[in-house]
Amino acid sequence: MRGKFKQIVTELAERDDKVIVILGDVSVYQFDQFRQRWPDRFYNMGILEPTLISVTAGLSAQGFFPFVHTIAPFLTERCYEQIKLDLCYNRFGGNIVTCGASFDYAWDGPTHHAYTDLAILRLLPGMEVMQPGSRRELDVLIRTQYANGNPSYFRLSDHPHDVDTGEVVFGRGTVVHRGSRDVTVITAGPLLGNVLEAVRDLDVNLLSFHTIKPIDQALIAQFAHTRILVVHDAFGLKEAVNEVAGLRVWYHGFPDQFCGWYGKLDDIRQKLGLDATGIRAAVLGMLENRERR
Amino acid sequence: MNATCQKIRADILSISHSSGHGHIPTCFSVVEALYAVYRTLRHRPTEPQWAERDLFVLSKGHAALGHYCTLAAFGYFPVAEVGAFGAFGSLFGCHADRFKVPGIEASTGSLGHGIGIAVGMALGLKIQRSARRVVTLVGDGEANEGTVWEAVLVAVDQKLSGLTILYDHNKSQRRCLQIPNPADRFRAFGCAVTEVSGHDLDQLEQALSSFVADKPHVIVADTVKGFGCQTLCDEVFAWHRRSPDSVTLAQLMEELYAG
Repeated sequence: MRGKFKQIVTELAERDDKVIVILGDVSVYQFDQFRQRWPDRFYNMGILEPTLISVTAGLSAQGFFPFVHTIAPFLTERCYEQIKLDLCYNRFGGNIVTCGASFDYAWDGPTHHAYTDLAILRLLPGMEVMQPGSRRELDVLIRTQYANGNPSYFRLSDHPHDVDTGEVVFGRGTVVHRGSRDVTVITAGPLLGNVLEAVRDLDVNLLSFHTIKPIDQALIAQFAHTRILVVHDAFGLKEAVNEVAGLRVWYHGFPDQFCGWYGKLDDIRQKLGLDATGIRAAVLGMLENRERR
Repeated sequence: MNATCQKIRADILSISHSSGHGHIPTCFSVVEALYAVYRTLRHRPTEPQWAERDLFVLSKGHAALGHYCTLAAFGYFPVAEVGAFGAFGSLFGCHADRFKVPGIEASTGSLGHGIGIAVGMALGLKIQRSARRVVTLVGDGEANEGTVWEAVLVAVDQKLSGLTILYDHNKSQRRCLQIPNPADRFRAFGCAVTEVSGHDLDQLEQALSSFVADKPHVIVADTVKGFGCQTLCDEVFAWHRRSPDSVTLAQLMEELYAG
């Protein structure tokens, strides 16, 4: 997805001289041609994430559309106050684009994992929070949102799915699968690949979201009569879904513990029951127990 | 003392008295600096959004009352409007909101933020090859924050000669984390540094008018916290966030105008 990100931003820069790239010494090779072509619009600025955000705010104040990019925990949790004040409170727009979350750097352990980014950013007034699951979703979301003046968060993944989720519209969810039983599975981002594999032959509804804030409440409300199972490898989606009144929501996802098992993304997902087998077991449990609370 | 700077200090005292808010000593240390900034920068008080204006960012947001009274002195708004300082529904908060007060370029308050925004603004102007410039006022207490030094690193690396960092060396951290020899530190980081007396308008305006090629310019202003009223200078910590009652206000005014 990083390659796609580079491609989109390069295309935007061709026709929009307000596009600027700021890196925290990550994905530098990806942007080599960009740097050569537009040296005064490319800054591998340093490993100082709070200041990357403040500088993004200052560039926005001068009319630019900055893309600031580095590893998720450092560009969100470490500089939460800069995002809150310099971007959101000051209403200086900007595009925060991260890699590494949730467990794309599984082998690096808890210092490099990021699973609170979506949840904490959605609390900030004016913030747009997106977790595209596929390259196509990323493509549409960046193009429609990058220059709207709002602070926007795009969480990239090294393991996107290739599911066709239909028309991609910012702020709208997708019905991937319709069933007749009273269970609706809700997921977001790249995990849709595992979820779809798990429930493809089950008689349940499956909704997918690439936009966590604003969440598509109208779509969720259509399934309020069913029991809802949120399946996600991060915090944020469950909380967003729960803002719709009158739902019965269960969560199959992230535990209250650090996940220091190293390995690869699939190893951690399997350990958490977020591989297709684990997800299927959770959904079957819902289907078998109609009264489950 | 310059008559306008004296008037700005009197306004700060009066508004602090009537509102019950404000950090008087930290405002008093930067009155000459603020006055010199608005004497030096290109700006239009009757057209705050003038496209060719220079930019000032108050990074040490605690001096907001001093900033408001200075903007009023230059005609941005009547100082009477600042009387609602900190009151519910007022446009004039104890830290400034850029959407509410004309002349405020960035909303600040939490320390160590304004300077980073100023670096981004100066970089943006450099990319546009603009002659406009950016000045930011940073406090020595604020310089306890690591982001101040991150921002300086970037400003030096990006050769932001259009950025001036006005450093209020008022020794506010004498009971906490002090930063001795700030000029040496900024020089070591690669900045051009000028040291001035922070209450000498000629020195301030001269320094604010000078630039060094390819380097951000740091003006280390040696100041006295509470400058203008001996009582405030003698009892800096007691007055950090205290407003005078009627009797004390009269006493402070007397000291101000005697000085």
